[in-house]
Amino acid sequence: MRLAERTTHDAGAPAGVPAEPAVHTATRTTHRRRGVNREGLEAGRRSTRALLWVLLAAAMVLYGFPFLYLLFTSFKTPIDTIAVPPTILPREWTLENYTNALGRSGVLASFVNSVQTAIISTVLSLALAVPAAYGITRYKTLSGRIFIMAALVTRMVPPVAIGIPLASMMAGAGLADTPIALSIAHTTISLPLSIWLMSSFFEAVPRDLEEAATVDGCSRLGALWRVVIPVVSGGIAVTAIFAFLASWNEFLFALLMTAIRSQTTPVVIANFQTQFGLDWGSMTALAAVYSIPVILLTLLLQRKIVAGMTLGAVKG
Amino acid sequence: MSSRTTISRITAIGGLSTAVLLAATACGAGGPAATSGSAGSSTVNVLVEAGGHAELTGVAEQCKKETGVSANFVELPYDGMFNRLSSEFSSGNVSFDVAALDSVWLPSFKDAVQPIDEVFTDEVKKDIFPALVKEANVDGHFIGMPAWTNAEIILYRKDLFEDAKNKADFQAKYGYELAAPTTWKQYQDISEFFTKDGMFGTDVKGGVETEWLAHVLQAGSPMVLDENNKVVIDNAAHKEALDFYTSLVKDAPSGAAQVDWAAAQNLFNQGKTAMTRFWAHAYRQIPKDSPVAGKVGAAPMIAGSAGVGAVPGPWYLTVPKATKNTEAAKKFVKCAYDYNDKGIESNLGLASRISAFEKYQDKAGYESFKPLIETLKGTATATRPATEKWQQIVDTVLVPMLQKAVAGGDSATLLADAKKQIEDLLK
Repeated sequence: MRLAERTTHDAGAPAGVPAEPAVHTATRTTHRRRGVNREGLEAGRRSTRALLWVLLAAAMVLYGFPFLYLLFTSFKTPIDTIAVPPTILPREWTLENYTNALGRSGVLASFVNSVQTAIISTVLSLALAVPAAYGITRYKTLSGRIFIMAALVTRMVPPVAIGIPLASMMAGAGLADTPIALSIAHTTISLPLSIWLMSSFFEAVPRDLEEAATVDGCSRLGALWRVVIPVVSGGIAVTAIFAFLASWNEFLFALLMTAIRSQTTPVVIANFQTQFGLDWGSMTALAAVYSIPVILLTLLLQRKIVAGMTLGAVKG
Repeated sequence: MSSRTTISRITAIGGLSTAVLLAATACGAGGPAATSGSAGSSTVNVLVEAGGHAELTGVAEQCKKETGVSANFVELPYDGMFNRLSSEFSSGNVSFDVAALDSVWLPSFKDAVQPIDEVFTDEVKKDIFPALVKEANVDGHFIGMPAWTNAEIILYRKDLFEDAKNKADFQAKYGYELAAPTTWKQYQDISEFFTKDGMFGTDVKGGVETEWLAHVLQAGSPMVLDENNKVVIDNAAHKEALDFYTSLVKDAPSGAAQVDWAAAQNLFNQGKTAMTRFWAHAYRQIPKDSPVAGKVGAAPMIAGSAGVGAVPGPWYLTVPKATKNTEAAKKFVKCAYDYNDKGIESNLGLASRISAFEKYQDKAGYESFKPLIETLKGTATATRPATEKWQQIVDTVLVPMLQKAVAGGDSATLLADAKKQIEDLLK
């Protein structure tokens, strides 16, 4: 227990800065007097801080505006959604789009399918990526290096090139139109990224920790389970989020591999665009509802994600 | 709580959830399996574009009552449907028993679907628009039953056309009465007349090709390819139609090269354009809170030297060769013909039988049907060339060429270049 707690601090988690050496504190004080920015937005010259805040606000607007526009559009009346020129805020607020979107047949089932598919795909991805990444980083063999490069190369293949054969294979295996088939397909997308992410997290964990655990009587697997995994738990959370998002938002494989019983919500959202017109209101309403679980998940795991991000940046 | 305890709990919960989910994946949440039904099954899976689902819902209800054949709809967005069809047809393992195909896809999938000649009796052929009967027949066999069809007609602002001052001013300027246009010249004059005070007479769509092709038909030429598949895009009729098309740019909102169906429909529904050449279904889809709601009139597509002409946009119900449920699938196709008028009561409000349109043409709210019937029966109306390369020709040659033309390119040069590109594609 103590070992695990100690290693979390040693591995560079941001919370682990309780006892800085006196010399560092003195140096920082000196730099502050000279106006050197050592702590981001909280220090430095006022003009620099202002500039950084402006840049940060601009970046937030740039990233946040499309989602806000989607959100506002979901409350617009039909004619407002197609206004020329477009308006940002609704002239008249309405919930009718939400009623239409959620009342459409198949929407609830598609939500259930999306949750099923994303969870299975995430678990599969982690179950394969964690041991793979651990093996690659700890054994450092030529085949491991080739494997991790090959995993990266698979990310470069356009999904449509493998989507159609994959759909045929799943149909041949009797898995047509099932969430498990789609989960496996989604794992092919998230697995390479998960392996790479987890590799960087494992690299950050000093070997000394495992050796210490071995000295204390742990087997290699015991050291992995009792020492390394707790240290990289933030990284696992980050990887899980990415794997979940990759499945949650995936469209092409869902389009090719699902029909009646396993259709996921991205396909249902796309169905609002037909050859005869685009129902902007309902489409944006469903998209807004569909983004809620992801936002909640991110908020829930926020601390782990921040810890995980920092973890990857520190070498043991 | 220590990290290890947390992880152990998460792992346990994750494992349990996964086990439950894996068990649940045997059936999914959306309903029964979407595999082609077994022989003799009374349920058919119908693959349909999302917008066409509502068209067939009434048919399905009636079909279940009358024949006992029920339908599960597999609904897909238009943009992904071609890929899905290609995937399933090529694998020989289809998840549907009936597929609604866009007319442009018929040549591509002709070998994957069954002939349904027995459904096309003389009586049936008489009640379907001639151009559609011709298109449904590929290599001597009928392979698709038109479920609904559409065509471009003229939608215009009745309130502006009936305004006394506008009528008097128009008469004074052009020497004839202001009314819905019937010829190219009238369309040009009216477009010019209404282009003032921030309003435009019409739109020009550089992002889609069908409208220009309708003008080609009106000018008396087959579209792009003649009956022997010879490329005729550089003939006089194509140039005449292109010159007419680009002559309207000055009376249309800027950015014509990027205007597509959605943009043109928005402009009209927002009251920015006085006229539009548009698919007939749009008449019934004008939002109730639109400034033009209740102020729109409909007229047949304009005529050129060859008469009224348009490119129909039908969808055909087909039965895949790979289905195990041919009998029920064919029964459903027959139902779609027998109860074709049920589609008219849907949001889209379209059918394919002449008698179905005629049944509704005098009812309030269906004022677009008479012009639609007249357009579909037009002397110059014809379907697109039956070539597997058609979509490629459209995407890589026709639309880019139109975009250059509406931006001011020389029509003769552009058509000559287009001819060479199409010939290369067809080699």
